Amino acid sequence: MSSNCTPASLRAQKAKRIVKEIYVYIILLAVVTVLSLLKGDLFQRGNFLFPPNIANLLRMSAPILMISSAFTLIFITGNIDLSVGSTLSLTTVVHAILVLNGFPFALSLVIVVALGVLLGSVNGFLVMKLRITPVIATLITMNAYQGLARYLVPPGISSITTTDTLKMPEWMGHFSKDQVFMGLSWAFIVAIVLLIALVILQKRTLFGKYLVAVGGNRTAAELSGINVVKVVWGVYILLGAISALAGVARASYLLIGEPYTGVGAETEAIIACLLGGTVFTGGEGSVVKSFVGAIIIVCLTFGLKSVIPEYWQLLAKGAVLVFAVVLNHLLSKEAIAA
Amino acid sequence: METNVLQIKGLVKDFPGVRAVNDVCFDIKRNVVHCLVGENGAGKSTLIKILTGACERTCGSILLNGEEYCARSPKDARDKGISTLFQELNVVDQLTVEENLTLGIEDTTFGFLHKTDKIKKIIDVLKDLEPSINPKERVGRLSVAKKQIIEIAKAVASETEIIIMDEPTAALSESEIERLFTIVKRLREKGVTVIYISHRLDEIFTLGDYVTVMRDGMHVATKPIAEVKDRTELVHLMIGRTVIESYVPKEEQSDEVLLTCKDVCNHKLKNVSFNVKRGEIVGFYGLIGAGKTELARAIYGADSYSGEIVLKGEKLKGTPEKAIKAGIALVPEERRTQGLFTLLTIKHNISAMNLKKISKLGLLNSSQERATAKNYIEQLNIKTDSMDKETSKLSGGNQQKVVFSKCLFANADLLILDEPTRGIDVGAKAEIYAIVRELVANGKTIMFFSSELPEILHSCDRIFLLYEGEIKAELQNGKDIDSQDIIHIVTGGAAS
Repeated sequence: MSSNCTPASLRAQKAKRIVKEIYVYIILLAVVTVLSLLKGDLFQRGNFLFPPNIANLLRMSAPILMISSAFTLIFITGNIDLSVGSTLSLTTVVHAILVLNGFPFALSLVIVVALGVLLGSVNGFLVMKLRITPVIATLITMNAYQGLARYLVPPGISSITTTDTLKMPEWMGHFSKDQVFMGLSWAFIVAIVLLIALVILQKRTLFGKYLVAVGGNRTAAELSGINVVKVVWGVYILLGAISALAGVARASYLLIGEPYTGVGAETEAIIACLLGGTVFTGGEGSVVKSFVGAIIIVCLTFGLKSVIPEYWQLLAKGAVLVFAVVLNHLLSKEAIAA
Repeated sequence: METNVLQIKGLVKDFPGVRAVNDVCFDIKRNVVHCLVGENGAGKSTLIKILTGACERTCGSILLNGEEYCARSPKDARDKGISTLFQELNVVDQLTVEENLTLGIEDTTFGFLHKTDKIKKIIDVLKDLEPSINPKERVGRLSVAKKQIIEIAKAVASETEIIIMDEPTAALSESEIERLFTIVKRLREKGVTVIYISHRLDEIFTLGDYVTVMRDGMHVATKPIAEVKDRTELVHLMIGRTVIESYVPKEEQSDEVLLTCKDVCNHKLKNVSFNVKRGEIVGFYGLIGAGKTELARAIYGADSYSGEIVLKGEKLKGTPEKAIKAGIALVPEERRTQGLFTLLTIKHNISAMNLKKISKLGLLNSSQERATAKNYIEQLNIKTDSMDKETSKLSGGNQQKVVFSKCLFANADLLILDEPTRGIDVGAKAEIYAIVRELVANGKTIMFFSSELPEILHSCDRIFLLYEGEIKAELQNGKDIDSQDIIHIVTGGAAS
């Protein structure tokens, strides 16, 4: 340890720390720059950075932003939740069904979030009480929740939408499509508020500190009298609830209850967190950086849409993931040696 | 108030096949530094595990302040007044010093953290013990020594009565050790009883008030340090009647160089250079953390390194697979997790490193496998009723013989032994030494890595001393070798 204290190695350590601090912002800048050069004149119609285009992109991305921010917390505890995408699918469908059947927005929101709490606590139960490995446990619920979402859509139709007898109310799109402030929607504003709330939760509360303790050194946490089961279970519930909130936003954006809308959302959330420098093994992670990571993903998905075919888009996303994981690995490896 | 803070009466702990703690009785006085010594496998660790609630006793009683004491978990033990400084430190690297000290006892309003006098008090305890630690620093950036101090401060702040320290100096430098000693003395002034476990006997004379010696699971003696004449007496108590036959120099030395290491460096090793001659037993001695395992793994190709390792004139490059082909085999440090497939049988383990030899076109020849197993079971005297027994059911010594068999069957010329006698009983140790001798007589070459000086002195022809990843000295074993000197060097003192 003491041998690592030469001025040169100290400088190198410091440089590494700074790179770790800012690289997600550099990637965002690079991605945005490349996308804006691909097509059209800068800031004009057809260009990626055309302001209405950006506003629409942000309106559309609210669900994945919410999920990615919250996903950071489960990563910090050293666990994982693969079922967030299916939770998103299921809650989108449930919200659409409730609204279609005349439930007011607020009531449907409360019911859907309560459903999210239930789904999250099932995950927590499987992982913490039945002690099933998180990957396996949430792989199971990922399939179960997705199946449930498909089951709720009556046979013969592909999504919950206006029928002969029931009409989707006109206000369905208010939450995600209305431009309330500089072209942004309520859902996006909620995503920002949520981000701030999660930052406060992480930095200022006991719960936030316990997340780090549990993920950083579980034995030490247990020895200090922390109820590890309760803490991790709590994060699963929180993530379930936020995924459900994202479901409401997604339904409002699509105007229908599409049962496969959440497929792949867990992958996007994982990439977002890794881009943001979250450590896979727990203990470290920043909600803000995951949020930025999610914006990178959204930019790639949306910015490449009209430019290259879909399989290239998937490949591009895959390439970014590999890059993120390798970079993350390199930076955290250095951190251990220091 | 009772003068004895802890009374242990007739304590017994049975593990399958072995009695680890056998009818141990002794008392620990209040407000002293009470040392616990004994060889590996003497039962110290098991005794400590019972005290800390990590394992349950078979029978016997423990009285804490005159009342029956039984801990269900380390947390429970801590609540009842017995804290432990484990070798595996229980701090959260990602939190700050202050956050670690208050972990689990924070003050909150509606879930929000805020500062109170309580935090200030705990930090004062820390400042009192070690003023140089900044409470705002992230613990991951601190040295092991400072992490220990944080744990001690936390225990003191929770008004613990007893702190158990398990080999606390194993990973510390000399100046850090001194600082720890000052702190231990300070703890005694504060009315805390310290149970101190160490292999380093000098520490016990410097620090201890009382010493308890254990051997083969039994209590040998408890006396005030002042009544122990010297080191020799202590060593005698520890080792007992078992006399390790002393080193016999080899009659003829080969001059053929088998292995050369040149400027080997990696995350732990610093410019390690040496050579090994055919038919030698070369010892590598150093304390825990000196880089022994890292060196063994580098030679075997299990860890990456820069520099050159040359075997029989050919440069070794990198993987255990290639090392085995070149004629090297490793008996790893952790027998159960690295040396054996514990769920497989003896015969399957023995053949595991050289399945090609007993297979044709990808099909295993099981009669050949049995013949091989039979051969080694006889040759190395593995005590078992059947070669179809799972290795997890064997005793430590017999397990180790299976690992040796496995390496020998792989046609190794050079055997790297990393702590080959760890956790096995005295009798089995002697057998392992005999096996090592015999192997050399049959033309093998041995690199013997150990943190137990007696066995190094007993077995090795040449000895390299490691400290902090560097070779500090090379010694020819013989009558005039000075163990004091060796200890001095491997604890960071200058080579004389």
